[in-house]
Amino acid sequence: MTDFPILTATLLCPAIAVVLTLLIPGRHEKAIKTVNALAGLATVVLAMIAWIAYDRAAGGFQMMEDAPWLPALGIRYTVGLDGVTVVLNMLNAIVFFTGVLSMWNLQTRVKEYFAFMSTLVFGVFGVFFSLDAFAFFFFYEVAVLPMYPLIAVWGSTRKEYSAMKLTLFLMAGSALLFPGLIALYVGSGSETWNILEMARSGAFSRDFQIFVYPFLYVGFGILAGMFPFHGWSPTGHVAAPTAVSMLHAGVLMKLGAFGILRIGIECLPEGAAYWAPTFAVLATGGIVYGAFVAMRQTDFKYVIGFSSVSHMGIVLLGLNTLTAAGTDGAVFQMFAHGIMTALFFSAVGFLYDQTHDRDIRNFGGLVSQAPVAVSMFIVAGLCGMGVPGFASFWAELLVFVAAVREYPLLGILAIAGLVFTAAYMLRVLGTAIYGPVNPKWNHLKDVDAWSVTPRAILVAVLVLFGFFPNLILDMIRSASGGL
Amino acid sequence: MGDLSLFLPEATMLVGGLIAFTASVCRAPYRVAWYVGVLAALACLVSTSAGLAMSGEPFFEGIYRVDAFSQVLKLGIVGGLLLTLFLAGSPGGVRSDARVDMPIFLFLSALGMMMLVSATELLTLYVALELSAYGLYILAALHRNQRMGSEAGAKYVLYGAASSAVTLYGISLVFGAATAAGLDRPTYLADLAQMDVTPMFLVGVFLALAGILFKLAVFPFHAWAPDTYEGAPHEAVTFIGTASKVAAVGVLARLLFLAVPGPESLTTTLLILCVASMTVGNLAAIIQKDLKRLIAYSTVAHAGYILIGLVCLSELGVASAIFYALIYVPIAFCAFLVVSVVGRDGTNPTKADLAGLYKRSPLLAVTLLVAMFGLAGIPPTSGFAGKWFLFTAAIESDLFWLVLVGAINATVSLFYYLLVVKEAYLTPPGDRSAITIAPEVSFAAWVGIALVAVLGFYPRPIWDLAEAAARSVIGS
Repeated sequence: MTDFPILTATLLCPAIAVVLTLLIPGRHEKAIKTVNALAGLATVVLAMIAWIAYDRAAGGFQMMEDAPWLPALGIRYTVGLDGVTVVLNMLNAIVFFTGVLSMWNLQTRVKEYFAFMSTLVFGVFGVFFSLDAFAFFFFYEVAVLPMYPLIAVWGSTRKEYSAMKLTLFLMAGSALLFPGLIALYVGSGSETWNILEMARSGAFSRDFQIFVYPFLYVGFGILAGMFPFHGWSPTGHVAAPTAVSMLHAGVLMKLGAFGILRIGIECLPEGAAYWAPTFAVLATGGIVYGAFVAMRQTDFKYVIGFSSVSHMGIVLLGLNTLTAAGTDGAVFQMFAHGIMTALFFSAVGFLYDQTHDRDIRNFGGLVSQAPVAVSMFIVAGLCGMGVPGFASFWAELLVFVAAVREYPLLGILAIAGLVFTAAYMLRVLGTAIYGPVNPKWNHLKDVDAWSVTPRAILVAVLVLFGFFPNLILDMIRSASGGL
Repeated sequence: MGDLSLFLPEATMLVGGLIAFTASVCRAPYRVAWYVGVLAALACLVSTSAGLAMSGEPFFEGIYRVDAFSQVLKLGIVGGLLLTLFLAGSPGGVRSDARVDMPIFLFLSALGMMMLVSATELLTLYVALELSAYGLYILAALHRNQRMGSEAGAKYVLYGAASSAVTLYGISLVFGAATAAGLDRPTYLADLAQMDVTPMFLVGVFLALAGILFKLAVFPFHAWAPDTYEGAPHEAVTFIGTASKVAAVGVLARLLFLAVPGPESLTTTLLILCVASMTVGNLAAIIQKDLKRLIAYSTVAHAGYILIGLVCLSELGVASAIFYALIYVPIAFCAFLVVSVVGRDGTNPTKADLAGLYKRSPLLAVTLLVAMFGLAGIPPTSGFAGKWFLFTAAIESDLFWLVLVGAINATVSLFYYLLVVKEAYLTPPGDRSAITIAPEVSFAAWVGIALVAVLGFYPRPIWDLAEAAARSVIGS
């Protein structure tokens, strides 16, 4: 078992799905969907195996694989998992699988859609596994670019504008990452792009760290929806089709936060310490601002889009405490928010597919019209508010405790932001779901057994980790304990 | 006299030119001349590949050097020629009475380029430069539409002649400076490299560079590019946009190392040109509607990227510049392929003409996608690896800000590349008809796509060549 290259196998699942999707003639839509769903299922199974196989007591990086890629420049294909990436790997697999299932009814340009989507997933897996800065950035860009066609072709609501805005924002982030990452390689003075070795080398002077860190933080931070560079995120969410929103908010934004953690903080601890207070202020700004703006939105997806800015602010705040507890909380929040947002978008997507309307004011009493579908939304909403019993509760608790300890004022402000979160969530629930029934939607069909599956999986995950947070915290701690 | 077998690749090219000439004199049908041309180019590819590891001097000592550097670049040039010929199977945009002459000029110009990268003596270098240029001048003027052709040709010739004159003047200054310094062989690069850098010598090198920067379309020597690209037949543009860039990068690297370790003014000047090229090229490309003009301005930007590597004046820098020039050939080729198929009657396609390409010809749409992502430097295309290496070299030379500027430029460029992709993939075709592709062109498209994708995942073979080339030019 130990010799089985499980990470390469995981990486190959979406890659094979892409190739098969391209080879199958476009008219066999069922076959294309099945291939991608199977690939998704395979990644879930592999992620579970990796979860179980990971030796928590030993910690550190496991399941390592290493092969030369471009030896002349010291570039290698090095992959490995630690506690953080075991969790994120699971997240990506779940969102991939449920994402394919929730696009089961897609009819336009099915072949191209799944080719792009699986390419994106391939990139995300690659980023989570890579321990080589070149490979990391290679997969990072592979993951980011398919968003453009995915939104521009299959999206809605000003889709071309949103797609271009998103792409240019993210590529502007990459423009900062390019010099930042290469400076790490050159600055380390070693002949390797290996992130772990660069972190271990201790070759970076304090001045160097302070200079380079903001490039990495802001470069990755843009993808993490960092305030004030979050503008692409809500518009992108709104325009994207359901599964793309799920992937985008559920996984892609996590790449940014993950990049900050894996490369920024671990390689440049002194730079991180120098900049942490500044970036913590921005993160808190994001929490409060996102929640405020979400209160005024009338479009379901805009509410979720801005709530993502707010929730990703919590992740970034947790990272900026630079404490083990804060980091644990941040990673837990990445996972919880990923699942929660996927659930949100899948619930809204279900509604939109039938009604072609997302204006909260046009709905009312949905709970009596489509009780099962709406219950998913309620679960996600409660989770977003940080109600105990759901995964987010523990994540946010950890972050806030760490934040109050490190930055008392910011911590209190962030907690206050949570009150607004509760306010906008309850507003949505109150009007659209419980309010007076709008007879226009009486014909609404509730979810059938088939499409309830992906959503049920997401709910189950949220509740499972809500009641047993230690399942995931132990895993994350095995990695961040040494921080 | 040295070992003449070292001259085999060039000799094959010369024979190819003579065969093409015979075909032209006999007024053979174009298709026959074309078949013969493709076969001859294939023979050149074989002989150049076989000669990849050769080194030595076939002629009088110090004039003409065959080494890893020259051979690798020759491979790029021959590759560009062969790919161009694949597109030229039925050149709808070329005057029908001049079609059969086209292969001659392609071969002769390629021969000039091959000699250019081997020349290690200033006069040889100049003659090779002119030989490569004249073929291109004529090719540029062969457009079916006489007015367009004459305009493109005239602009190219006049700009070319002016910059060539400047180059010649620069060479004369170098000659003077070297004679004054008491050099016995004042035009031999090997001797010049040993000389102390005097002001006159430096001015001479600067001016001599002008002719090369013109070929590469570096700002401010770029003004010809958009007009010539627009007015010249697609096949000529394909050749100018691929093979001649490789040759220009080669000779630029050779000349630059004359003045190394040179004064700061040299690097500063190149830095300014590099930043200006990237910025001007990308900003101007944004507003272009004509696809060929868009590619022309993007070429200016790419000349800037390549200069990033050369400005470093390090082995890694030169290697990355050569790598970029080599992988740029298939990427640019993919773009020109789409242009010449969509505009096969000789017209210039605009962005709007690409509408619905994904339905009209899926292969062309993919080719375009690969080309645009390659130019933008998005993985898994080889353009990403190319940019990464250039930027790595620059940061090793403490040019952090240059990399930032380059990366921001890449972001800007992505905007207009994506607009092109958007036309092809998002806009419905309307009443535009489906496009059928000639078998040799679709074969070439697959080759181009495969080269871009495979080298993106696995850049090692080309990188090893580029590194060997850089080592040999710096060692010399």
